[in-house]
This record gives sequence, C-alpha cells and structure tokens, in this order.
Amino acid sequence: MAIVNRTPDSFYDRGATWDSSAAMERVHAVVAEGADIVDIGGVPAAPGSEVTIAEEIRRTAPFVAAVRAAYPGQVISADTFRHETARELCAAGADLINDTWGGWDGRLPEVAAEFGAGLVCSHAGGLPPRTRPFRVEYGDLMADVLERTLAQAKRAVTLGVDPSRILLDPAHDFGKNTWHSLEVTRRLGDMVAAGWPVLVSLSHKDFIGETLNAARDERLAGTLATTAVCAWLGARVFRAHQVTQTRHVLDMISAIRGDLPPSRAVRGLA
Amino acid sequence: MRSADLHNSDPPVTGAAVCPPAPLLARELTGRDPVVTELRQACAAAVGRLIRSGPDVIAVVGAARSTETWPADGRLDLTAFAPGPAIREEKDGPALPLPLGLAARLLDEGGYRGERTFRSVNQKEQAAACLRLGADLSRCGERVGLLLMADGSARRSLRAPGYLDPRAAGFDAAIERAVRDGDPGALRDMDAGLAYELLATGRPAWQVLAGAMPGRARAAEVLYAGDPFGVFYLVAWLAGGAPNP
Repeated sequence: MAIVNRTPDSFYDRGATWDSSAAMERVHAVVAEGADIVDIGGVPAAPGSEVTIAEEIRRTAPFVAAVRAAYPGQVISADTFRHETARELCAAGADLINDTWGGWDGRLPEVAAEFGAGLVCSHAGGLPPRTRPFRVEYGDLMADVLERTLAQAKRAVTLGVDPSRILLDPAHDFGKNTWHSLEVTRRLGDMVAAGWPVLVSLSHKDFIGETLNAARDERLAGTLATTAVCAWLGARVFRAHQVTQTRHVLDMISAIRGDLPPSRAVRGLA
Repeated sequence: MRSADLHNSDPPVTGAAVCPPAPLLARELTGRDPVVTELRQACAAAVGRLIRSGPDVIAVVGAARSTETWPADGRLDLTAFAPGPAIREEKDGPALPLPLGLAARLLDEGGYRGERTFRSVNQKEQAAACLRLGADLSRCGERVGLLLMADGSARRSLRAPGYLDPRAAGFDAAIERAVRDGDPGALRDMDAGLAYELLATGRPAWQVLAGAMPGRARAAEVLYAGDPFGVFYLVAWLAGGAPNP
C-alpha cells in the first residue's frame, strides 16, 4: 500500500505531492514499482490547521477519480476518518476505507457497506482524530488493541460490510508511546491469530525515530526492519512511502518463509 | 484578610515539595538516553528538602481516575506505559496510579523510611472538595509534609502533546507566580474547565495544595521551571509554618 498524500504538510513528504500532477506522477511510479494499493489522503495525522470536510473532499475526490480513470484495475484506498469524505471517495472509485482513528466516526462502516468497499479497523486507544498521546497508559495493551479492533470489525459485519474486505491495524504511534508501539510489533502475532488480515503502517514513524534516535529522513532502515518483523509475524498489508524497498523486504521474508521461490537461483547449482 | 486569618491558624505543615507526574521521570522509560537529567535532579532535591524538614508523615497527592487512599506500601508500576520486557518489578506491593507511584519512588530514593499516606484525587474533583482534602491532610499528623505531584498545561507549543493553545502560557504563568510568591492559596480559584482544555492534569493536586497551605509559605524555592516537551514542569519547595524539630 503506497502512500499518496494530498496535503501540503504531512510529516514525511511535506507536501511533495500537494500539486496534483506531482501526485499523479507518484501514482505512476508506485504502480510501476509494484504497489498493489494506493492510499490517498487529504488530512495529516498530526494536529494542525483544520481541514474541513469540504476541503478534504476537494483535495482527494477529483484525484481519486483521476487515478481510477488511469488505472481501472488498481485498488484505491481512501485514507479518511470521516464518513462524508469516504462516501465521496467511494463514489469516485475508492475500494477501501482506511480509517486510522479507530472508528471515531461510527458511520464509516455504513459507507463501506453501501459501496461494497473494504474497511480498515484500527486502534487509536479512543483518542480523537489528530491528537497526540499524552501519558496514555494501558492495563493490558494487546487486550485493548484486540478488543477495540475486533469490536469494530464485528460491528462492520453487522452493518453489512463484506467480511472478506475487513482488515485490522494496530496503528503504531496512534494513542501509543514508543514502548506501546514496540509491544504491538512484538505481539503482532496475537492480532494475526484473531483471523482477520492485518495491515501495518510503520513508515518513518516516531517510534522508529525514538528507538534509533533518527531524524525523519533517517528512519528507512528502522522502517524496513519493523516491516520484516511484521511480515514474519503474519501481517498482510504494509502502508509505505518506499515501495521498491518494501517489496524487496516482503519478497525476502516470503522466500525465507517458503511462500515464494527465489527470483533466480543458480548459485552452486550449475 | 482571609489570608492573614488563615495564616494565624495554619496547621503545622512542614512544607510542600512539588514535582511533575510525568512518566519520563522514571529513568527506565526514556530508554538509553536519560533525557531529563536536570529535571530528575531537581525532583530529588525538592524531595530531599521535604524529608529534611522532619515530617512525622508525608502525604502524597496526585490526580488520577478516582479520589481515594492507597496502601502505604504501594509502588510504582510502569507496565501500563511500557509493556514488555523493559520493565521489571522492583519490589512487592500494590500498584499505585502513576503520580503516586513516581512519588513513592522519589521518597524511596531520598531514603525516607517514615510514615507515608497516598491520596489520589479524581481528575474532575470540584475545587471545594480539593481544598477540603488539603485542609484535612494538613492535619493528618503532628508535622505533615506534603509531596504534590502536579504540573501545568500540555499545550505550550506546536510539538506539545496537545498542540499549541495560546492560553497555556498565561495559565502556567499564574501557577508559577503563585509558587514563586510562596502563595499557594492563590491556586484555590484555578479554572477547572480551562485546565481540562489545556490538559493540565495537575489542577486537582494544585488545589489540594491551596487547601493544605492556604497562607503564605515561609519560603519558596523553584528548583526547575521549563517545558522541554511542551508540558510545563515546575519543581519547587515551599517551606511551611511548622518550625524545624
């Protein structure tokens, strides 16, 4: 899942794809690099100046429509926590609603059901959208993660979302300090064991920066290491800025697991 | 008028140490980098002053989910903040809410072996109840020392946990002024609604302090004031009316 931000101020790319032609160039690039999903969002996760629903739709809906027209078969994900935006983006061609804020807007599943779209059920610890964790504590972190995400998944099914299109996301950094994000990584297998496909969004996040004392542009190795561990533990979807490197990691892990033969093996075999 | 009257009838509080209930005070939570060495040293110094003031009991107060008394052998429990292998239980005893647990560790590290009592105050406790609790605590022994776990807003910068709120600076300045002036009673009228909006979780504890030391402190010393992460930390020692033993 390749990240395509339609924002002037997202933390990592800082507006690199704010311009719509630059954003479309990015889509061409990530599709060529092998991204199965493009994730399009118009609101940064961090607090900051308000992005109204109308503005979010203005940033994303025409672009989703343009991507759909250019790539009829590509899976398009709408990165939004608001059902109004999700509805517009699904109407424009999005296949998946990536709600990173833990179901804050309870009407998102209705939209997914209405359009036959998928839904990501994530864990933000109950924090409102675009807020930072402040002294967040969990008596039992993994229990909370599983309880909240599974409750969303169950509710989504009840509201008519296709069960084969529901994913769980522990949501690293969301409602979590670095220790919490390390723990959900360590125990990702518990979430995989719940039976739903698991998505992880790790790319260049603060828990990696704090673990490695690495600035935002120095977190690729940490991102890929965490990606490898999550893949080994069974995650299925990886939200990423660097598609080529992420694919290499995932193909390598698949080969180690025995799920994917090497691309070409002649060493010692001649 | 009121201040002078109360001063005359002040209970025998030896003084109050104030420290922020920030999780990162726990050294093991900040990883390989100590991060806030100066802040920890200031807290140790404030608690050292408190212990040397010779209290026969130290009352620890911090905001939490409920107003209640906790076991005196309670301990710091960090597992809610850092699940996994990084945290080892250091001693037996029931787990305390974080502000009280941090205080327990500060007292242990300061070598305090005397009587202690732990009181949590509900985050939403009304001012009158906080003031009353403070007054009651100040009379819970012959010579009562207070350890207040409280800090200011968490919205002092764009990088702050709660993002920037322009009201935060003035709110925190009022707290700092009251403490520097040795006038904790000035905190009795803190705006609970504003405190809530500014993520100033220490508000109930500040008002307990106002209730426990309604008059002027004999001396006031600020050992640390700063906001390295957008949260206002204040470490202070307020000497009370009780003469040294």
